[in-house]
Amino acid sequence: MGAGRGTGTTRRRALQLVAGASLSALLLAGCGGGGGGGQAGGGSTQTSGVTITVALAADPPPKAALDDFTKQTGITVNWVNIDWDSLQTKISAAATAKTYFADATDVDWSRVGQLGKLGWFYPMGDYLDVESMKADMPQLASFTSDGKVVGIPYDASFMVTTYNKKLFDAAGVTKEPTTMDEYTAALQKVKAKGDVEHPLDIPFAASEGLSTYWYETTGAFGGSVLDESGKPQFTDPGSPGYKAAQWMVDAMKNGLVPPGNINVTDSQGQQTLMAKGEVASIFSDYSGTVGTLYDLPDQSSVKGQVRYLATPGVTGPTANLSNPDGVGIPKEAKYPQAAAKFIEWFTSEQQQVDFAGVNGPEKAFTAFPIPSRLSAVEKMTASGNLVYGDQLSTMLEGSKPVFPGGAPTWYPQFSNAVYTNLHAAATGSMSVDDAIKAMGDTATKLSSGQ
Amino acid sequence: MSSVSAAGSAGLAESPRGGSGGGTTPSPARRGRSTGAGPLPYVLVAPVIVFIAGLAFVPAVFTIVQSFFTVNALDPPTRFSGLRNFRALAESDAIRSSLANTALYVVVGVVLSTVLGIVMAILLQRPFRGRSLVIAVLILPWALPGVVEGILWSGIFDPNAGLVSAVMNDVGLGGGHLLLGENRVLTIVLIELVQVWQITPLSVLLVLAALQLIPDELYEAAQIDGCSRWGAIRQITLPLARPGIAVCMVQALVATLNVFDQPYVLNGAAATGATVTMQTYFVSFQNLDFGQGYALSLFITVLTLVGSLVIVKAVYRKVEL
Repeated sequence: MGAGRGTGTTRRRALQLVAGASLSALLLAGCGGGGGGGQAGGGSTQTSGVTITVALAADPPPKAALDDFTKQTGITVNWVNIDWDSLQTKISAAATAKTYFADATDVDWSRVGQLGKLGWFYPMGDYLDVESMKADMPQLASFTSDGKVVGIPYDASFMVTTYNKKLFDAAGVTKEPTTMDEYTAALQKVKAKGDVEHPLDIPFAASEGLSTYWYETTGAFGGSVLDESGKPQFTDPGSPGYKAAQWMVDAMKNGLVPPGNINVTDSQGQQTLMAKGEVASIFSDYSGTVGTLYDLPDQSSVKGQVRYLATPGVTGPTANLSNPDGVGIPKEAKYPQAAAKFIEWFTSEQQQVDFAGVNGPEKAFTAFPIPSRLSAVEKMTASGNLVYGDQLSTMLEGSKPVFPGGAPTWYPQFSNAVYTNLHAAATGSMSVDDAIKAMGDTATKLSSGQ
Repeated sequence: MSSVSAAGSAGLAESPRGGSGGGTTPSPARRGRSTGAGPLPYVLVAPVIVFIAGLAFVPAVFTIVQSFFTVNALDPPTRFSGLRNFRALAESDAIRSSLANTALYVVVGVVLSTVLGIVMAILLQRPFRGRSLVIAVLILPWALPGVVEGILWSGIFDPNAGLVSAVMNDVGLGGGHLLLGENRVLTIVLIELVQVWQITPLSVLLVLAALQLIPDELYEAAQIDGCSRWGAIRQITLPLARPGIAVCMVQALVATLNVFDQPYVLNGAAATGATVTMQTYFVSFQNLDFGQGYALSLFITVLTLVGSLVIVKAVYRKVEL
C-alpha cells in the first residue's frame, strides 16, 4: 500500500509539473511570437508565391490594382495603413530591436539623412535601376544619402502658394504678386477690404507643418535654413531665415493670421479655413490641394476660386521646396526582392497614371496627390485630370530639396526645436530673437555632434 | 456620532494598513493544508510568475541597467556612461518644463477625478430605476482610446470652427479666445479636463465598489441617532470608502503622470502642455537616444512609486466589515 501511495503521489506530482510546465511553455510561446520568422537581416530572395507586408500612412490602392500585381508577379500584398507618427515609431522600434514588421514601408524625406546613416533600409540601387529613374523623378535627390538612394518617391509632394482669386480680385489685387513685398501688400489689401478678417493661414500649432512652412518662407526670402554641412544660416537678423520667422510672427501680430491659428495644424488650416473661405491664402500649401480639396463641393465652399501662385520671392517667383513621400525596404524585411518588385510596380509611370485617375476613377488611389514621375504628371495634364497641371508641372520641375546637403541625421530633433520655438514666438511667450537663438543653438549643437 | 462609534456599533474595524487586524496568522489546520498541497500551488502560479517576470520584471531590470549606458542608434556603440543620461536630462530645459507641466496635470487630474468619482459614486450608491444603464453610459469615455478622445475634443476646442469658440461667440465673449497653447495654466487645465472625462468613470466604479460593501444597517443606525445625510456621508461613507478612494487616487496618479495622448493631439509638442511622457517619446523615438529614454522612464517610474506610496500612506486604511 505504501508503495502504491508513493507511486500515486509521484504520478500526481509529475502530472502537476507537466501541467505547470505546459502552461508556462504556452505563455512563453505566446510572449515570444514576434520574432519575425527568423528571417531578420538578410531575408529571402523568393519573389513568387509570397505575401509581403506594405506599411504606409495611407489607405490601400484599389483592390483590382493589387490583384493585378499579384497576377503579374505571384506576390500578394498585405497592405497596412498606420498613421504617420505611429509608423515612424514602428520603424525605429523594429529597426532597433532588429525585428520584422514590414517588407516595404515609408521613407519620409525628412528622415533620409537619419535612415541613411543608420543603415536601417537597403540601398534601392541594389534592387532597382535608380540611375534611369533620376531624369523622370526630380525628387529622387531628396531620398539620396551618401550617394545611396534610401527610398523611391511615390508622390511628388512639394510646397506651393495658394490664394483665393475671388477675394484677391474683390480687394482690387489685379496683378498676381511675385515678390514677398507685393504678396504682403496684397494680403493687407484683402484684410482692409474686410471680406475676410484674417486673410493668411499660417499653421502655428507646434507640429511639423509649422517647420515646413518656415522652410518654404525662408526660401522665399532668398535662402535656406541650413548650409550643406548642417550649420544654421538663420541666426543673423539680416538672414532669410530670420526674416521669414519675423514675417510669420508679424503676420500674426498684425492680424493677417487668425488669432486661433496658434493651435491650428496645416491640414486643419486647409480644411477649416482655406476650404471654407475664412482665409484668402496659404503661403506654404500642399501641391495638389486645389484639385483634391478646394474644388470638391462636398468639402469646400470655394470651388473654382482657389489658384496656385508662383511662390513669391525677393525679386520674383522662387523655387518650391520638396517634401515628398517615399517607400523603401527595411533591413529586417522577410522578402526584400519581392518588396523591390512591388516598389518598381508601385512607382512605375503606368501605375502612377492609373493612381492619378487618368484611366478612370476605379483605378484612382485616393491618397495620391501628384505622381512623382514627370511623365505621369504630363499625361495627367494632357488628359485634363490635373487641375492647373501645367503650372504644377513647371513647379515640380523647378522644385528643390529643403536642405542643400540633404536632411541631416538629427533632423527630427531640429524640427522639434523649430516648431516649439516658433509656436512660442507666435503666442508671445518669447521673442522672435529668442526663438531664433534657441533654434540656432540647437542646430549648432547637433551639427557639431555634441 | 463619530466614525469610531458607528463602526463600533456595527462590529466594524478600521485600522491602519498593516495593523494586526486579525486573521493573518494561518491556523495549524491551514498550515497543514498548505503543506499537504505539495508543489501544486507553486506549479499553478508558475505561469503567472513567468508572465510577470517576462513582461514586468525583466524589462524593469533592463531599463534600470540601460539607463546608465549610452544607447543611441546615431552614436554607437552602446557603452557605460554612469550618470550622464540623468545629468543631461536634469540640464534640459524641455524636461524641466515638462516636469512642471506634469505636476500640474497630476494635481488637477487627481483632485478632480477623485472628487467627481466620490460624488458620482455616492449618487449611484442607492438602487434606482435605470441605474445599470447610467453606469453603462458612464463607462463609455473610459472605454475610448485617448487618441480618439483627443481628436474628438480637438474639434470641440478648434479655435476657428469649434463648439467652445461658437458658444463663446454666441454668449458675447468673442470666438476663438479660449485658446489652447496661449496660456500654460489654462492649456493644462483644459487638456486635463479631457483626461478627467476619461478616467473619472474608473474612479466612480472603484469608489462605488467600496460603497457597496457598507452595510445598510450602519446608515439606519445613524439615522436613528439623528444623523443627517451629509453627516452620514462624512462619518460613515467617506471613512469606510477609504480603501476604494486610495485605489482611485493611485490610478488617477498613474494616468496623469503618464498622460500623453490628450496633450499631444490637442496641443502638439508645445511647451505649454508637453508632459514628461511626451519627452520620453521625443528623446527615444525622435532623437533615438534610448539611454536617455530609459533614464527618463526610470525617473517616471520612481515618481509614480513614491506618489503612490504617499497616497496609500495618507489615504488608505484597512477596513473590515
